[in-house]
Amino acid sequence: MNRLLLARLRKYPNLHFAPLSQNTSGSGGSVNSATSLTSSLRETPASRFDDHCLNKFRRLSAMSQVTPPPILTVAPTRALLDEKLGVQVDNLPPGAPVTLRCLHQSEDKDYWEAYGHYISDATGAVSVADDVSLGGTYRGKEVMGLLWSMRPVPGSRTGLRLRKRNVCTPMLFTISVYDGHVSHDFSSRRPLAEVLTERWYKAPGVRRVEVNDRGIRGTLFIPSGPGPFPGLLDMWGGGGGLLEYRSALLASHGYVSLALEYFAPGELATADLEFKYFETAFDLIKQHPAVIANKVGIFGLSLGAAVAIHMASERPIKPACCICISGSHLFPRDQLVTSIHQPQLGNTRKIRMDGEQNLIWRDMSLPISSDLSRKTDVRRINCPLLLVIGQDDQNTPAVEYADDIEQMMLSVGKEHLLTRLEYPDTGHLIEPPYSPHFRATNFMWDRKKAKVTLLWGGQTKAHSDAQEDSWKKILAFLQRHLYSPQVPTARM
Amino acid sequence: MIGTQVRAAVFRHLIGKQLTPRVGLHRKPCWLHSAVAAMPFRTSSSPAPVLTAAPARGLVDDPISIKAGFMPPHHPVTLCMQMRSEDGDLWEAFGHYNTSADGTVNLARDHSVGGSYLGCEPMGLFWCLRPAPGEREDLRFRKKNVETPFVVDISLLEGHISPREKENAVLAVATTERWYMAPGVQRIDIRQNGVVGTLFLPPGPGRFPAVLDLWGMGGGLVEYRSSLLASRGFASFSVAYMEHKDLTVQLDINAADGYMKKAFNILKDHPQICGDRIGIIGLSYGVYLGLRMATNSDVNPSCLVCINGPAGSNVGLTQTFCKPKTSDSDQRLWPRDEAGYLSFKDMTSPNNYSPGTQVKIENLACPVMYILGEDDQNSPSTENSNLIADVLKRVGKSHLYTCLSYSGAGHLIEPPYTPHSRMSLWRSKPEKMLALWGGHTAPHAAAQEDSWKKTLKFLDQNLRA
Repeated sequence: MNRLLLARLRKYPNLHFAPLSQNTSGSGGSVNSATSLTSSLRETPASRFDDHCLNKFRRLSAMSQVTPPPILTVAPTRALLDEKLGVQVDNLPPGAPVTLRCLHQSEDKDYWEAYGHYISDATGAVSVADDVSLGGTYRGKEVMGLLWSMRPVPGSRTGLRLRKRNVCTPMLFTISVYDGHVSHDFSSRRPLAEVLTERWYKAPGVRRVEVNDRGIRGTLFIPSGPGPFPGLLDMWGGGGGLLEYRSALLASHGYVSLALEYFAPGELATADLEFKYFETAFDLIKQHPAVIANKVGIFGLSLGAAVAIHMASERPIKPACCICISGSHLFPRDQLVTSIHQPQLGNTRKIRMDGEQNLIWRDMSLPISSDLSRKTDVRRINCPLLLVIGQDDQNTPAVEYADDIEQMMLSVGKEHLLTRLEYPDTGHLIEPPYSPHFRATNFMWDRKKAKVTLLWGGQTKAHSDAQEDSWKKILAFLQRHLYSPQVPTARM
Repeated sequence: MIGTQVRAAVFRHLIGKQLTPRVGLHRKPCWLHSAVAAMPFRTSSSPAPVLTAAPARGLVDDPISIKAGFMPPHHPVTLCMQMRSEDGDLWEAFGHYNTSADGTVNLARDHSVGGSYLGCEPMGLFWCLRPAPGEREDLRFRKKNVETPFVVDISLLEGHISPREKENAVLAVATTERWYMAPGVQRIDIRQNGVVGTLFLPPGPGRFPAVLDLWGMGGGLVEYRSSLLASRGFASFSVAYMEHKDLTVQLDINAADGYMKKAFNILKDHPQICGDRIGIIGLSYGVYLGLRMATNSDVNPSCLVCINGPAGSNVGLTQTFCKPKTSDSDQRLWPRDEAGYLSFKDMTSPNNYSPGTQVKIENLACPVMYILGEDDQNSPSTENSNLIADVLKRVGKSHLYTCLSYSGAGHLIEPPYTPHSRMSLWRSKPEKMLALWGGHTAPHAAAQEDSWKKTLKFLDQNLRA
């Protein structure tokens, strides 16, 4: 118990465990270890700040002997990443200013936090779902503000992006309530109460299978049960590598999803890829025993979206539907797949910079050519297509490309296949909901072999709303096109 | 609709695919049905039915919503739950349902028409769990390691069948985890001053209200109620007083008083616990120990929860207390009723209290809530509860006493949504002995659910307000 007590003391600095109540009667020496610890603490020369904290603690503790401590309730304590979270505080004094804070330590060991300033009501309660945040990293009535408004704590490295690599473990968030409206130095303060909540990308029973078959590199996620299930080919963008979290989440919603790795980060310029790779990946899913062969869709973001739309339009595979987030249909023919999204050498003069040295790449892909040899012929698409785009996308001129796609499809009477979700003040990285917003992050620009920061765009609140809304609509789109039974019309 | 299905079926046949019995399913003649039960009703081009259980990761005392969809309307299906205990035994339960007009099943809305339970029982699959046929019998469902969840598979099966016929009939599966500890709850082994126990602390700096958690003559260290209480914000201390390898001395009833006081003070002196907000919860013999503490002037619990336990003891019981379970088959120590079950009915009857063992009920100074299973076959709990009520009434302290009396409930009223055992194995050496706990499954489950809610509310009112 002594060791654990020490560990707790370390966790809560300035927390002096002075036994304030009269606990000494007949305790039989059971608290010898604790008493000696506290007496040694008391004897430590205390700075004025320490005294202040000690007195404040004594006041608060004395308060708690008479009035009960505040109760912080967070529900659910274990949830999927796209599920809502309820945060409630009770037993506060009425009209008390408090701060709710959410803290997360990423796999890269950076700390991310969000906080909101609240005032308790006459019953001494604060409910994040019903009350208004008056300040902090988010304002207003924001049920999920403690999650989507997270940003690296002051003093962190710059240009960070929060992405879970290991989807078999949860993200752990510590939610605390503090006395007063606090905006900094949280770690030097004692919270009134604290709760932990786990948020998972993978539901129980979802199987994770590493794929290394026919040259395809990726991870397959299979929902629990005999199936068969609809399938999805899931592709990320120009950052490269293997990101599993969206596929894990999609499998948790009932889709066999293959997170495809198609180049390692930084290899974009040299990856020797042909479309055959993507078609083989698609076939791999289609032929999987747990997959319904004619219910396989493609899902892509950024470069992945450009690949997706090209596959759906011009390749022999027949996806049941196609989702493109922040993509274009740019496709310089007879060049490598990887040339789709690369800043064209001739166009690097079109790269701008914002006031903070973040690179704006969007102009490089403009103007859109009317020459069909430079872009995918989306007139040939035959499956439902969902475009998700942000109007403040500073990396890709997604709106302009969406206009062009729409026009091309209209010209052949296929506009009924197109659904376009366009969001104001939303940037390029439209991710699953309640993820923090990344306006500009570090990026490995392979062509120049340099680490730069790219401006993705978006204003946090609007971007987060777009993430929440688009995810809901993406799931509905997938359910409609991959799950609803379709009775074939008989021709006799 | 049926016409379309017929055309579709013929069409598929024409293009060489296997004919599926869709038509037969909709007309549901029983002879065809039993054949169909063995075949999946969907083709390779239609999606599988979907089964969801939410929350997928919940605490053991959280209700769960089970729904299924994408099935034909008015179609018979079976929902089956299976789980392996830590000892490897397979427990299962099932219910027979008919899909609604929109092809869905919702356990919160629909009625089971057969299987382990009948009627609208959203959590029936949990509390009806029983050892599967062929497994060991007379088992009791208890989690020893509370740091890991139970992983439970819920299957949606074609037709009204038993789990034995599951093969080839599984339409969908939902996997759910049932946890005994919320994230951030700390489990701390306590071996202090001779006291053996496990302390569970909620996350955060505290100070927390606390509960001393006492079980019965089964002995050992039972942690699952404490871990759940800590997950609900109460520091909770499960204490072992017999049958534990770390107990340094065999306690007798007098030594037990001092031992319990030490345990209570471990809570009182803990820097993260409110020393003046400690309650006691006891089951069976734990009630007696709790009442002794509460009527002792040195210990001042803020409240007491008593589940099916006595207010006094007799010589036999006292001796039993300090003998290990397996040492003796003396009728006096491990009494049996006429049917041969272990029963403490005589030993804990108020009529048979040994002189001086009845607690001074009149000295009770804190609210007491007595949870009573009227079908308790192990102890005369009704008489004991009445005794406490009578004494308190006599001294004008009725306002302190609440009795929740549940008809059809047995002795082991535990946290909700866990299976009920009317009897279970008490020990197998030196000879097999069964204990009859009583209670009938459905009312016992209702008692567990209701009493747990009321227990949490009672603790909240007395330890937090």
